[in-house]
Amino acid sequence: MELLVAQLLNGLVYGVLLFFMAAGLSLIFGLMNVVNLAHGSFFMLGAFIGFSIFHLTGSFWLALVLAPIPVVMIGIVMELWFLRPLYARGHMDQVLLTFGFTFVFYDLVQTVWGKVVLTLPTPASLQSTVHIGLGVFSAYRLFLIGFGFAVALLLWLLLERSRLGAMVRAGVDNAGMAAGLGANIPALFTGVFGFGVLLAALGGVVAGPVLGLYPGMDTDILIPAFIVIVIGGMGSLRGAFVGSLLIGIADTFGKAYLQNVALFLIYLAMIIVLLIRPQGLFGIKYADAPPSALARTIMPSTPRTRALALIALLALIALPFGLADYPRALIAEIFIFAIFAMSLDLILGFTGLMSLGHAAFFGLGAYSVAVLGAQFGLNAWLGLVAGVLIAAAGAGLIGFFCVRSGGIPFLMLTLAFSQLVFSVALKWRDVTGGSDGMPLAMQPSFFGFSLSHSLVMYFMTLVFFVAVYLGLRRLINAPLGHAFIGIRENEARMAAIGYPTRAYKLLAFTIAGAIAGLAGGLYVIYNGFISSDAVYWTASGDILIMTMLGGAGTLIGPPIGAAAFLLMKNVVSSYSEHWLSIIGVAFICCVLFFPGGIWGAVQKLQPAGAKP
Amino acid sequence: MLSLENVDSYYGGSHILHGISLAVREGEVVCLLGRNGAGKTTTILTVMGYLHPRRGTIRFKERDIGGLPPYAVARLGVGFVPQERGIFPSLSVRENLTVFARNARSGYWTLQRVFDLFPGLQARERNLGFQLSGGEQQMLSIARALMLDPVLLLLDEPSEGLAPMIVKEIVDVLKHLRGKGMAILLVEQNLRVALAVADRHHVMNKGEICFTGGSEELENSESVLRSYLSV
Amino acid sequence: MNVLELDHLHCAFGKLVVTDDVCLTIGEGERHVIIGPNGAGKTSLINQIGGQLKPAAGRILVSGQDVTGKPPSHISRKGVARTFQRNNLFQNLSVIENLRLALAVAFGNPLDVFSMAARDQALIGRARQLLQLTHLDGEEKCIVRTLSYGGQRQLEIAMALASEPKLLLLDEPTSGMSPAETARMVELIAALPRSLSMLMIEHDMSVVFSIADRITVLHYGKILVTDAPAAIQANERVREIYLGMAH
Repeated sequence: MELLVAQLLNGLVYGVLLFFMAAGLSLIFGLMNVVNLAHGSFFMLGAFIGFSIFHLTGSFWLALVLAPIPVVMIGIVMELWFLRPLYARGHMDQVLLTFGFTFVFYDLVQTVWGKVVLTLPTPASLQSTVHIGLGVFSAYRLFLIGFGFAVALLLWLLLERSRLGAMVRAGVDNAGMAAGLGANIPALFTGVFGFGVLLAALGGVVAGPVLGLYPGMDTDILIPAFIVIVIGGMGSLRGAFVGSLLIGIADTFGKAYLQNVALFLIYLAMIIVLLIRPQGLFGIKYADAPPSALARTIMPSTPRTRALALIALLALIALPFGLADYPRALIAEIFIFAIFAMSLDLILGFTGLMSLGHAAFFGLGAYSVAVLGAQFGLNAWLGLVAGVLIAAAGAGLIGFFCVRSGGIPFLMLTLAFSQLVFSVALKWRDVTGGSDGMPLAMQPSFFGFSLSHSLVMYFMTLVFFVAVYLGLRRLINAPLGHAFIGIRENEARMAAIGYPTRAYKLLAFTIAGAIAGLAGGLYVIYNGFISSDAVYWTASGDILIMTMLGGAGTLIGPPIGAAAFLLMKNVVSSYSEHWLSIIGVAFICCVLFFPGGIWGAVQKLQPAGAKP
Repeated sequence: MLSLENVDSYYGGSHILHGISLAVREGEVVCLLGRNGAGKTTTILTVMGYLHPRRGTIRFKERDIGGLPPYAVARLGVGFVPQERGIFPSLSVRENLTVFARNARSGYWTLQRVFDLFPGLQARERNLGFQLSGGEQQMLSIARALMLDPVLLLLDEPSEGLAPMIVKEIVDVLKHLRGKGMAILLVEQNLRVALAVADRHHVMNKGEICFTGGSEELENSESVLRSYLSV
Repeated sequence: MNVLELDHLHCAFGKLVVTDDVCLTIGEGERHVIIGPNGAGKTSLINQIGGQLKPAAGRILVSGQDVTGKPPSHISRKGVARTFQRNNLFQNLSVIENLRLALAVAFGNPLDVFSMAARDQALIGRARQLLQLTHLDGEEKCIVRTLSYGGQRQLEIAMALASEPKLLLLDEPTSGMSPAETARMVELIAALPRSLSMLMIEHDMSVVFSIADRITVLHYGKILVTDAPAAIQANERVREIYLGMAH
């Protein structure tokens, strides 16, 4: 009984911490339609700045009061300078922008405070334990629960009982009308964004003594907070509160009594809620976000483009002979990720669906090769065929549920499904090796040549890359590809002229999943190793970045983006520790100034007459 | 008080207003008539700052407001009642009225005066916006605009989709406001409402003003009525 | 057999009834125009026939086949095509690419992944005929968003005609057009084959009377009257509704 109460208390503590995150996330989404992926970063910054203030002053309470101030300032700068110019564009650009910021903030924290886990000590006045009827409990944890409930009550009063709160609710209901009655909507946006950041930073400070401080705590809190607002309902404070406590308690009890399947069940719950009640338990119905500005037309090949492509191919064939082992291997990896990025582009750039869960299919392909090899001694090439089929089946199944929605709900559903796959990879340790990963049992040969030779590996990946590129190019220029593009441009019209659009979207999703599975299988053959990190949602984010950075909606863009990303990661990181910041900043600039990515910018440089 | 000179306005790529010129003087009620798609609502949205004119000037109280955002136009003293009424569904009737009210200027319109004008709303004070009928929503929208203490009201088809009884009630309110010296720019498709309330009329067709005149003149212009308004 | 039959159709958004017991038939080759004040439920009616909106009760029959509540793609394949009140095209694609998409699903194989869509001469030939019919020849390679507004309205019609429908639903084909563009559009619609049935929403009375065989007046979602143009023009009740309050 005492254990049960202790678990319940721990659940409430975690729930309260989630509430600090979810309340802000939810308000920002409700008012501004921005899914702020950097919200976890503000939580993390609050925690670390609080840690430093504590060490300077020795006072936890001072840290609690002061730490949020700089964090809120950072948040307001981000809203004013970076988000505001994007409001006129699709909401997807804002999601991408905030994702770019997570890299910068992660790097900042890692640089200033290091990579080791730090702890913020419990304030002296709350180090005691409290004896209540059912047992002995930490005073700090009790304080935390009280503090969280007090903040929730205050927030509720502010939102429901004050004029300012009424203005925010009016803005959520109908921002255009509120503007017509004299509401300065831009200022309201900034205020609410800053307030959300304040809550996250406060949460970060109070979480310090409970969770520990480390770079990466941002995504560790962001994902459960997302689950909370998806279940509770985006834009609803009540939903954020109820959802936080539900998830907090479910997570704590799940970990205690169900161990390995707890994570799986939570993601499953999220998916079920999304499917049955897309607006969440208490949520308002949200409008589908329009897709990002991908203003590209169908571009058939001309003699000129074919000649350029042939030259590029010859250069790629000649290139490795002048290179050492390491760069050859690096380019081979680029080929693999180029395949992965092109597969994402088929749904993102050509069909207009933004997925934040594409790594799931990469993982299915990779684990198929590795697991079938380890368990049944299956040859890796046969494993690769199986991997592609399994990834296609997985994508068909997951896609069946996801393509019913679009915009933000689609993003959330793909994220939830990929996290479901991740939870299996992480917890089914006997088979997958979890986060420690598993090796490829036996490296195959490539037409009799050993893949341990870097030149063979290079050409093997090149062959696959060229094959996938040509195949996708054919697909895009064929009637089916044009149908995908038509859906991206105007799904309602496609339906009106007779295309069953949902089936087409599912087809695109399945083909993309199969190709991602191919990339995953090749990656295991290349790398000789796979771990659950490869399926974590940030891996989906990375591939999204590569695709957008290079230029979504084209076939040349994603390989360029993959090359740029991996070169930065591998080359820049050997000169500078701040490769994450550099990628983040490059990506932010790309979203702000080159919505068409690197390739889009190159195309703009071409004289108009040279365009096909 | 309000004047538009040669205003051209675009909605997306399509050119909607072609050189609109009109004026509303103090205490005057001016009506814009015309069929659907004639450009009446676009005119109102352009005045409010939701659309910015590509050419021409809009002046309000001697000030060029052509480039101002809606909230700045509202704060200069323009009360806006949109066609779809724009009631905040999750706010109570009282909150709808007070949330953006400008009591600081100690103006004429208080909650009590507004309730005196619309007794029906007082009874629904605690109800949420989405629980109101169409007529109640229309009254609330007008009342809410009054709470800003405007010197000019922009009303976009206040009679649309309402039962004749309710339309009559709204006409009475508009007459009352005219009696108090409120300047109003009214968009209507309902000729009876227009004739009952307005001093001057502009008839629009395809983004241009094709008739301007007083009520009597309009009533006697069989050709205008036939080609631009009726069957 | 009637091309379209609406059988006691009902539809509502919450408490707001937009379609109230509507019964209507459109015969082969008939050009039928719906008029009515704002908010009468005209576009909602077209949306139900096109499958964009599901009716709450009643039946929609196309050539005798029940299509009630079916998705737009299904209804399109039954021979019903529509245009939209606001231009609803593929803005970033060229005029011919727009038409090819519409033609591919009707006459090509849209699941084909081997052939080059841009080289399908049969479809391109059909597309060129449609462009001629809608006075858009010469604009073939123009990206739609750079096409004039009137040109886009014409393309709306061409897109709808691509599937060679039995019934064409036109939602305010002249809305937002200049008087000159309107005149051209009327000419274009009048010149369409007489075998094609039409259901059109229109506000411009000169357009209505130059095209309609029969007219239906819709008011608060209900059919007030369906009759020949001359009878509608003489109808006192219709004049009342257009001019204002009924006393």
